[in-house]
Amino acid sequence: MTGRFLALHLSELATDRIRRSEPDLPPDRPLATWAASGSRRLLVAVDRAAAGAGLRPGGALADAQAILPDLILRPADPVRDGEVLRSLAHWARRYTPLTATDPPDGLILDITGCGHLWGGEAALLADVLARLRRFGIAARGAVAGAAATAAALARARDDNPVAVSGIEEAVVAPLPLGGALRLPQPVLEALARLGLRQVHHLLALPRGPLARRFGRDLLDRLDAVTGRRTAPVQPVAPPPELVAVRELLEPVITRTAIDAVLDRLLDDLCGRLRRAGLGARRVALLAWRVDGAVQEVAVGTGLAMREPAHLRRLFAEPLGGLEPGLGFERMALEARVTEGVAAGIQGGFGVVGRGGGAEAAMALAQLLDRLRQRLLVQRVAPLASHWPEHSVAALDPHGTPPAMPPGWVAQPWPVLLLRRPQPLEVVALLSDEPPSLLRWRGQAYRLRGAEGPLRLEPEWWRAGSGPRRDYYRVELPSGTRLWVCRAGGRWLLHGHLP
Amino acid sequence: MSSADSDAPLDQAAVLAALRARVARQEGAGRARPDLAPVPVCEGLGLPGGGLSRAAVHEVLTDAPGCGAAFSAVLLARTGGTVLWIASGRPWGQDELVAWPPGLARCGLDPARLVLVRAERWGDALWAMEEALRCPAVTGVVLAGNGRLDLTATRRLQLAAETGGALGLLLRPGAVGHTAAVTCWRVGPIGAGHGLEDPRWRLELLRARGGRPGGPWAVTWRVAAGTLELDEGRAEFDAPSASRASG
Repeated sequence: MTGRFLALHLSELATDRIRRSEPDLPPDRPLATWAASGSRRLLVAVDRAAAGAGLRPGGALADAQAILPDLILRPADPVRDGEVLRSLAHWARRYTPLTATDPPDGLILDITGCGHLWGGEAALLADVLARLRRFGIAARGAVAGAAATAAALARARDDNPVAVSGIEEAVVAPLPLGGALRLPQPVLEALARLGLRQVHHLLALPRGPLARRFGRDLLDRLDAVTGRRTAPVQPVAPPPELVAVRELLEPVITRTAIDAVLDRLLDDLCGRLRRAGLGARRVALLAWRVDGAVQEVAVGTGLAMREPAHLRRLFAEPLGGLEPGLGFERMALEARVTEGVAAGIQGGFGVVGRGGGAEAAMALAQLLDRLRQRLLVQRVAPLASHWPEHSVAALDPHGTPPAMPPGWVAQPWPVLLLRRPQPLEVVALLSDEPPSLLRWRGQAYRLRGAEGPLRLEPEWWRAGSGPRRDYYRVELPSGTRLWVCRAGGRWLLHGHLP
Repeated sequence: MSSADSDAPLDQAAVLAALRARVARQEGAGRARPDLAPVPVCEGLGLPGGGLSRAAVHEVLTDAPGCGAAFSAVLLARTGGTVLWIASGRPWGQDELVAWPPGLARCGLDPARLVLVRAERWGDALWAMEEALRCPAVTGVVLAGNGRLDLTATRRLQLAAETGGALGLLLRPGAVGHTAAVTCWRVGPIGAGHGLEDPRWRLELLRARGGRPGGPWAVTWRVAAGTLELDEGRAEFDAPSASRASG
């Protein structure tokens, strides 16, 4: 089966973006963007009114101001334009999960098998264009059996055609080269000097000399638009494994309404997961705002889950980050990462008993998921290192920690460690003897006992170990026991002993 | 009781037992959890029920973080299941203390059963403790922190513990306050006076619901055996240096 692709050409993206972000610009005055090129200032993008007056991208700014004195000018910002294009690609995921940007001003939608949901591809295309027009974004579109063909049709024709698959070559043959192939201006002029103005002129020529004269790039573009060679579409977001969608007749704004929609979506998605024998590790909620923005919140779980109640609790906090503005008109819940789940393991939530191992593991996993939404949660794994800071590795709390090394119990380690060892003033009778006097928190203590040293050599194969350390266990007159060390001539308090 | 005596020949022992049960029910202390054996602390202390009741929150006050942490770890290890160690803020001075699993392993706490949680805000720490206590798969939770802890907060924790059945410990410096904790302990060091091997602690039961305060006792923690031992007939810990637990 061949794919079907919908291409959109947003011909005035830059100026439309400016008008959207500055709604109080007078709509009847022409608008253009400019950028400095060396010492000259050139137009980069012009809107319809400015183009009608004869302005073209690449023209000099001074000329433009002379032709149209009331021209509104803004500096060009390709980065912002790219962001808007990306956000529009996310918005277009309402039609298909596979959408891609086609820089600088195009979108590609893989609508294979999606057309019938909208009453045909032509109706789908009309819906896309109508919605974009409502956002104030001028667009032309086309549907064809190859992405590049559709893009060429969208750029070169203004009647939004829908071409059947298999006749790509015939469809693009009459198109002008400039729009269809998006060639650089010098190449286009060189071709025009030879009388080559339309795609079929090039198709009639032998390929070898064409490649020698104009480079491989021209042939690559030609092959792409004629559908001889297809390039994969790089979607802006990976397609979800399972998805549940709600179209909302009335936009929802309040948290209560959003929660209600989420509840239905969760029930829907979890039902699908159950039927598929899967559980979700990562779930994202996408919300399409009325003005075209798409917002996303995601939660992750440690074990594969399909309990609506648990996922609902995980979403409770991140949902506060949504900004409904004028309301959401469509919400979708996507299971981004899924894993197989054995059927019996997910007991009814709330009746998990103390006894069952699997149920207890599930209850613990759910607890850790909730805690990890807000806090730093970790398990610890022993590492093969005698250096105190390196002897423990933080581990994902859902992992299974390895067994404890036997050496841990044998050593009189401290129970609490200072994250940053604090300098101490210590008096030792001789440089190699245990300390006898210690000044800590502004108070001097004559030590009742000291044991040591425990000499730790730095691990030269590891960066950041510092100098050799001599650890002493000391006891203050009150009985408090501390773990102090001498490292490179300095004394440090490093831990509290039992 | 005099009016009851005059009305009818009532069995006084039965009446007393019924009243005790009613008070206990109202207090929520003796909520029937026969499946949950209390956590033993130390032989010879004469605690009601024989140890620390599970499904309850207990306070451990200490000015010496090492002692308090080790005492808590010993108790948590005896619960026999997954344990959460929640740390919040810097309760003992300006140093940020982190629980160190190799040292806790010496207290009997297997690192495979230990989950460390760090909460910067006190509210988050209380929330985490409540959630953890409510979870039936957790047998012990300790919260080391020095935030505000009033009757409402501790009652919430107590209710959560009764739901989940875990042992909750509030490890904090300072003095005994008005809380809904079932028992309140103070632990401090006593100098061993003979090497630095097995630590000796001064243990005091400041408050116990449904029981009498007790102590102070001098106990020795036998590291190798993993037990707390009550020292017989030694009272030198009453020296002024020990009444102020540490510097």
